[in-house]
Amino acid sequence: MTTQPGDSLRFGDVTLGDELTPLDLPITATVIVAGAIASRDFMPVHHDRAFATAQGSPDIFMNILTTNGYVSRFVTDWAGPEATLRSISIRLGAPAVPDKILRFTGQVTDTQREGKEGIVEVAIRAANDLGDHATGSVVISLPLDTEA
Amino acid sequence: MAEVEPDPLREELEAHIGEPLGASTPTLAPDAVNLPMIRHWVDAFDDRNPVYLDGESAASARFGGVVAPPAMLQTWTMPRLQIVGIAERGGASGELPPDNPLSTLADAGYTGTLATNSELEFERYLRPGDQLRAATVLESISNRKTTTIGRGYFVTWVTTYTDGKDEVVGRQRFRILKFDPTTAGDGS
Repeated sequence: MTTQPGDSLRFGDVTLGDELTPLDLPITATVIVAGAIASRDFMPVHHDRAFATAQGSPDIFMNILTTNGYVSRFVTDWAGPEATLRSISIRLGAPAVPDKILRFTGQVTDTQREGKEGIVEVAIRAANDLGDHATGSVVISLPLDTEA
Repeated sequence: MAEVEPDPLREELEAHIGEPLGASTPTLAPDAVNLPMIRHWVDAFDDRNPVYLDGESAASARFGGVVAPPAMLQTWTMPRLQIVGIAERGGASGELPPDNPLSTLADAGYTGTLATNSELEFERYLRPGDQLRAATVLESISNRKTTTIGRGYFVTWVTTYTDGKDEVVGRQRFRILKFDPTTAGDGS
């Protein structure tokens, strides 16, 4: 995304039930390892296949910090650079493993005006063909409108 | 789901609840919030939100200047890697203090670690130069559960992140399953 602040969503642009632009992320070992190292998580299950299989996993799998990073990107790709994240809550299920598409979807579940900001809650889901990798919610603040 | 058989670890685990987990004093982040680590993150995630690197763009947004990606909160205080012996420690980056419930569980065969829940709250976005500290308190340890990947315990802690002025910048509730991989498939 190359969205600039002027193109960002304003609170008035958002309606309950709005769907976020889906993100299809092809997961590879490189994607998993790059996220693990950028988030400074050196647990071998996130980069060493032999270690992961010895722990009972079919392959290396994405670490939770990386899942949080992609959830954040997914929401701000939709909302734009003026969006301020207030919280990210996720529960992990199926592992995000290589050679599967991880599809992020989301929907606006609440909107509340709070002073000079608008608070928007979105329910998010990241799934592959094993099932739901992550489900949860993200709360963001948006400017009310361009004039405010 | 209460465990029917008595659990010999329960009393020792229970003693740690409400206590600091790991270091008894807040852990200082190895590095202040900085652009090289932000750039590394932005590229790894292909996150092109301009407020993370583009000063001009960030200045025109509400932030007034470059801010760190909020999901990096946990990253700033991750322990420095001690690469020697990492496999022998079950993959832990550093040595755990001996009087630690995670060590108790690992010593009892619950060597596997799987993160299951994360709840991040951001009080403010971080900027380059912010020097973070993290204080972590053990919130709960479940009864022993049987899962498809093995028997284990859900361990939940809460970390409070503060800046150089001791003001809270964010919090995280984090839950992991410590499990015994040799019991995978038992009872399921």
